[in-house]
This record gives sequence, structure tokens and C-alpha cells, in this order.
Amino acid sequence: MKILYLFILIFHILHVNADEIYNLIKIPNLEIYKLKNDNNIRYLSAKANFKIGVNKNIACDKVAINNLNKKFPLIEKNLNKYNSNFLNKIKLKYIVLCENLFISKINTGGIPDNKNRTLILDINFNEKYFERMIHHEIFHMIQNTHIEYFDENKFSSFNETSFNYAECSTCSDRLNLDLYEKTDGFLTEYSKSIPSEDMAEIFSFLMTDKETIKDKVNSDKILNNKVNFIKLNLAKIDKNIL
Amino acid sequence: MIKAIKASKSEKILFIFLIGLFIFAFTSFFLLKNKCLFVEKNNLNKLKFNKPNNIAVMNVECGNVIIELYPDISPKAVERFKILIEQKKYDGSAFYKVSKNTFVQAGDIEYGNINNLDYSKIGSGESGLGLLKSELSNDFIFTEGSVGFARTTEFDTEDSEFFITLKEIPIYQGEYTPIGKVIYGLDILKTIKKGNKAIYVLRPDYINTFRMFKFN
Repeated sequence: MKILYLFILIFHILHVNADEIYNLIKIPNLEIYKLKNDNNIRYLSAKANFKIGVNKNIACDKVAINNLNKKFPLIEKNLNKYNSNFLNKIKLKYIVLCENLFISKINTGGIPDNKNRTLILDINFNEKYFERMIHHEIFHMIQNTHIEYFDENKFSSFNETSFNYAECSTCSDRLNLDLYEKTDGFLTEYSKSIPSEDMAEIFSFLMTDKETIKDKVNSDKILNNKVNFIKLNLAKIDKNIL
Repeated sequence: MIKAIKASKSEKILFIFLIGLFIFAFTSFFLLKNKCLFVEKNNLNKLKFNKPNNIAVMNVECGNVIIELYPDISPKAVERFKILIEQKKYDGSAFYKVSKNTFVQAGDIEYGNINNLDYSKIGSGESGLGLLKSELSNDFIFTEGSVGFARTTEFDTEDSEFFITLKEIPIYQGEYTPIGKVIYGLDILKTIKKGNKAIYVLRPDYINTFRMFKFN
């Protein structure tokens, strides 16, 4: 009998925050922020704190509406760089806007979820890198849906043979996002963490600061090869994205 | 000699109060408990339909819910829906997922039937007819009373489960395959048993029968 009561209790707790949006993308406590957009992106905002994922390891706080209203034009401007056809291909439809996003207690700017066609963004992420962060996370969605175009071994082979990436993106101390003065194959320190972060960093600069990339590749053969690799394979998905 | 004792004024007030309390309790127990009491019933003999071939009648505890199906929007989904109705597969199906004033969901043929209700598997049952491709419409607005085919997080996984919206849900536009709309009996659906703070319902309400409309 006790087991039955326990089952009933768990049954109720697990779904206590369910509503029509939860039913669709499995994130509770959301409301519509902006629905109609030319590229069919739908913006949702957190009306209360939420925790999701395995062991509820992803947590984010509700947004202050004034804060969101202030930051939204920048978010929208950057996401408007992608057309609906491209977004369909990379399985992105919902942008969840919240504050203070954490995964396994590590602060992060964004978390992509291709399965639910969702990208969670922390609107309080460092302003200096905010725009780049959006495109960085979108690249992860591109790579997840087109893994055949972004082979990490092939990409890694552009590096000096003596260079080794870390085991994972968070298990190294290579976290700085500032652009290197002298690149030597890597745009930022974070690029040196793992191949997919390296690719995502290049993509984020291509989307926000093409001129800098042009300038850097002139004197950096390794970086030039990497940029061409990204450009070439992106064009296979959509010729007009860059 | 027995002396008659007159009731005092306060005793009379107490007596009247007790009678009032009894009437209130009686009314509450027998009348207010009846959730169908104030719900309008739909008499099929008095209703006329423009497209009687596409009318389905779902009978639940409080009466008939009448749904017009839209084969022009989603031909394969409506065809599947009609097959399942004709085979009486929806009879006894549980409204196991109910969000208050938002939507009701039923149609798990394998694990969500009154004769075989499996709480651990409900929502994952199959009809045996295979999965359908999503038939999405960017023009169909999920207004109050819209009927849509449920699916998993992936598209093209529609089978037998369906939901009915109890309010307009704009975010469902282009996300779910529309099947039709409730034209009579939306209030009946609002009486379907909800979960206690949860979307899933223990000891749910059931569909009594689900039939295509017979006309002469």
C-alpha cells in the first residue's frame, strides 16, 4: 500500500508544472513572448524558475520582463540572420529565454536541444560575448543535425600534430572567450577545448565579425583551413547563410 | 400531569438553522455532486449537419460531443480516425491526460482502455495500424474545441491518440495534425475529470462510445 501511495505521489510531482507548452517541448513554467516571426522562430520566456534534464541538472530562473524587453531586440536581430528553411534543417524552432542558466552547476550561455527543437538562452550572459554566444550555440545544433559534414577528426587534422584538445569542454581551464591577438590556429582560448567548440567559435565569429576573420586568416594557414572547412560544409546546408 | 414546555427563541433559531443545514447538505450531495447537471445535452435528432459524412459522435458521461472531421486538411489522419471509430477502438478509452481548461487527451488503445489500463505504459500504446506521417497545416488555428492527433516529440509518429483543446492554443499551429473541431458539446468536455495538480489523471473518465453519425 505504501508503494502505491509513493507511486501516486511521484506521479503527481513529476507532472506538476505541465501545460500546453510543456506538452510540446517538455520545459515547464514558460509563456509565449513572441510567436509570429518571418523565420517562424517562436520565442518563449520563463515565467517561473525551472529545472529539467537528467537529475534536474539544468536550471534557469524566470525573466524580469523589463530586462527581457531591453535585450530582446539584440536576440531577435541575431536570430533573424537565419531563414526558416535553414532553421528547419537544423531543427530549431523554439527559443527559451531565461536568466542564470546552469547545467550541472556550471553557468552557461545557452543549451541546444535538437530533439525538442529548442535553444535555451541566458539573457544575463556576459554582454561582451552575448551575440557570439547565440551563434556559437546554434552551431552546435547545426553540427548535431549534420554530423556527416563536420567530422571532428578531419577538422582536428588541420592543427599542428603536437596539439591535443581536452577530453571535454568543461574539463579544461581553456575557457576564455576573448579573441587572440596572435591566433596560431585558434581564435580564442575556448577554441582549444574540444573540436566542436573550436568549430562553434569560428562559426560565431563568421556570423558576427566576418572582417576580423578575413584579417586573421591572411596570416594563419591553419585557421584559414579551418574557416574554409566550416564555410564549405555550411554551404552544403544553405548557400546563403554566410 | 405533564407540563408542556415551550421552545425558547434561541432554540427555535437553532432548529431552523439545523433544518437549513440539512437541506444544504442534501442538495450538495445529490445535486451539486452531479457534474452533468448544468451541462446542455445534445439531441442528435434535432441537429442538422452540412457534411454528415464527416460527423463523429463521442458519448461521454455528461452527453454527446459532436465533432466535424476535416479530411480536406488531413486526409490520412481523418481516414485513420474513421477506421478506429468504425472498429470501436475508442470505446472505453481513458481521458488520461487532462490539463485544466487547456486540453483533454485520450485514444491510447493498447494501454489506455477501461478494460486494460496500465498506468506505467499509458501514452505509449499502439493501434497496430502503424504510424502516420504528420499532416501539418500552417493555416489551421487551434482554437477552442480543435481536435488534433497527438504524437511523440518527433513528427510522423501519429497513431491513435488525440487531444481536444479547451481554449485557443496558438503555439500548436503547425505543430500537430488537425483532425477536426467540436461543433457541439464543448462544455461536456470541460467536465472531464482532471488530475490533482497534475496533467495525468488517476482513475480517469472514459469515452463510452465513439461512432460516426448515422443519417437517413
